[in-house]
Amino acid sequence: MTKIQINGREVEADPKQPLIRACHDHGGDVPMYCYHPGLTPVGSCRICQVEVAAAPGQPSRVVAACRTPVSEGMVVSTDTPKAHDTRRECLEFLLKNHPLDCPICDKAGECDLQDYSFNEGQGKGRSSEPRRKLEKRKSLGDVIVLDEERCILCSRCVRFFSDVTKKPQLTVEGLGSRSVINTFMDKPLEGNYQGNLADICPVGALTSKKFRFQARVWNLSKTLSTCGECSRGCSISVEALRAKEVKRLRPRYNAAVNQWWMCDTGRHAMAPITRPLAPEGAVLGGRLRGAAVRGYNGLELADESAATALAADMLAAHPGALLVVSPFATQEEATTALELARALKATPHFVSPAANNLKDDLLHTGDPCPNRRGLTELGFAPIEPAAALAALAKAPAAVLAGERVLEILGHEGLAKLPTKLRLVAYDVETSDIPALDVVFPVPTHVEKSGHWVNVDGHRGVLNVAVPPPAGVRRLDANLAQLARKLAATPVGS
Amino acid sequence: MVVVQRKELTLAERLYLPEVLRGLSLTFRKFFEKPITRQYPEEPLPTDEVTRGQPRLVVKDDGNIACVSCGMCEIACPAYAITIDGGETDRTIEREPKKFEIDMLRCILCGFCEEACPKDAIFMSNELELADYTRAGLVYDMEKLKRPKSALQRRIDYIYKLNNRWRSKP
Repeated sequence: MTKIQINGREVEADPKQPLIRACHDHGGDVPMYCYHPGLTPVGSCRICQVEVAAAPGQPSRVVAACRTPVSEGMVVSTDTPKAHDTRRECLEFLLKNHPLDCPICDKAGECDLQDYSFNEGQGKGRSSEPRRKLEKRKSLGDVIVLDEERCILCSRCVRFFSDVTKKPQLTVEGLGSRSVINTFMDKPLEGNYQGNLADICPVGALTSKKFRFQARVWNLSKTLSTCGECSRGCSISVEALRAKEVKRLRPRYNAAVNQWWMCDTGRHAMAPITRPLAPEGAVLGGRLRGAAVRGYNGLELADESAATALAADMLAAHPGALLVVSPFATQEEATTALELARALKATPHFVSPAANNLKDDLLHTGDPCPNRRGLTELGFAPIEPAAALAALAKAPAAVLAGERVLEILGHEGLAKLPTKLRLVAYDVETSDIPALDVVFPVPTHVEKSGHWVNVDGHRGVLNVAVPPPAGVRRLDANLAQLARKLAATPVGS
Repeated sequence: MVVVQRKELTLAERLYLPEVLRGLSLTFRKFFEKPITRQYPEEPLPTDEVTRGQPRLVVKDDGNIACVSCGMCEIACPAYAITIDGGETDRTIEREPKKFEIDMLRCILCGFCEEACPKDAIFMSNELELADYTRAGLVYDMEKLKRPKSALQRRIDYIYKLNNRWRSKP
């Protein structure tokens, strides 16, 4: 560690990191546009300039903090009039061609340029020349739209592809005032990490097509959560409009798992968590609104406690039941499922679908089970969907529990199961499965709290981002109730 | 103990009738004066550009709504009366409201929305009356709120004049 002085305080700084990191760690408020802790610093925006002297009493000069290494005994001031003036002048040049688009810009509210010009900038522009007129809606592939006018040419997006995915796709094209960001040969962007560009862009130049104009960011509630698309379990923030409707998923910094990044598969996995509800009074055609039991006319909504009693009676009367949980089951749900397994005298299994072809070197593991490691550690045995269906066809009774367990087993395969099978399911949505006798609704993974254990043994947290629909209880509460009922009426009695 | 001193009445007062006639003379005099009351529903209240009536959305001369759903009025509204959902358009201004609702029962006619709007899209009209049979009917949607710019022009000019007082001289 190197001893330096920041704003009059003696601090210890990491010599491997640029000066801007030391400033941020020790309370110096230095803005940054082109610098990103995950990318190589280039010092192109010059907004992070601070006043530095080699030693106390030495003459000082203004340098870009992101390109200056920390050296022993240096004296740094971030708040002097000289530093402020230099930064304000840089800001004026950045705003020279930046359009006054804030009312329609998606970045407004979380825009570094907006924040800093609000704090430091002047209310009026002094330039009399018109602003650059460039393309406002340039599509860069399926995920990202580029607004060339808003771009301040910080080149974070260019460096993201060269530093993080190691497949350069973007470049700064043209010279001087004619510079614009473009892909090589105007080809659309490729790869599974394009969505990160919208996050790292310090202004609103790169915006996500899926999130474009969907919500103002200050109306979004942000909940810490974990991505469920693969066993990496990236730390994410679930952002819901007025705490009701999930609008976007964004990565949040986690040094141990995903750092600042996230793949597009996880970012756009909105369908499982924004499923519409089934029509009022119906069981099929959307998310379950309440417990349902098989009557004369197929599945019918029923009272929850009556349905639990029926399920307990059925399972007690047909010993040898199979217990299969979803790979989305949290540690808490799985622990309660173990209780149920003891009451049923069954071996606990979890469905483990085959690996998909999305595996890459950066984050995606290709394994679609977010809690594989946690479930395995608890003693659940993995079972392939086809093997599970074969076992179900022979079993006298079965309990399938967890978010999307029916979908992962395959609705077609389930529909072919013999009707003599006594089947109890806990899922978000069901199809018309003839063998299904009792079904209970469950919350999705953004509607409950719990933990998943990722592929490296890191515990990822789940929090309630949006409230579950009325009448949907926690899966662990439901399973515990069933286990208690079964314990009261032993299996085989 | 309070002793009430009663006024000694004069003869004219004790006679009663002169006092009644004095009172009636005032009543009859008022018959011939200009009335200060108003036949309200038939004769509406006078309004001018200073009247801060219900907020209305400006429809520009080209037929498009001026609002870009930036959400400034929504966040400025102290009564949480405004709800906006935005969406994309093909016009040069890429954003427009898909849903713009003002709950008129919540609206307190403070005019903060008008002040917050960066696009001159919402103005306080001179419409004051508000009555319906249901609460839901008073949650005004975009179609109920749209007004052509000409209908709001007096207020727009007034607000510009007002704001110009605070603008620095060139």
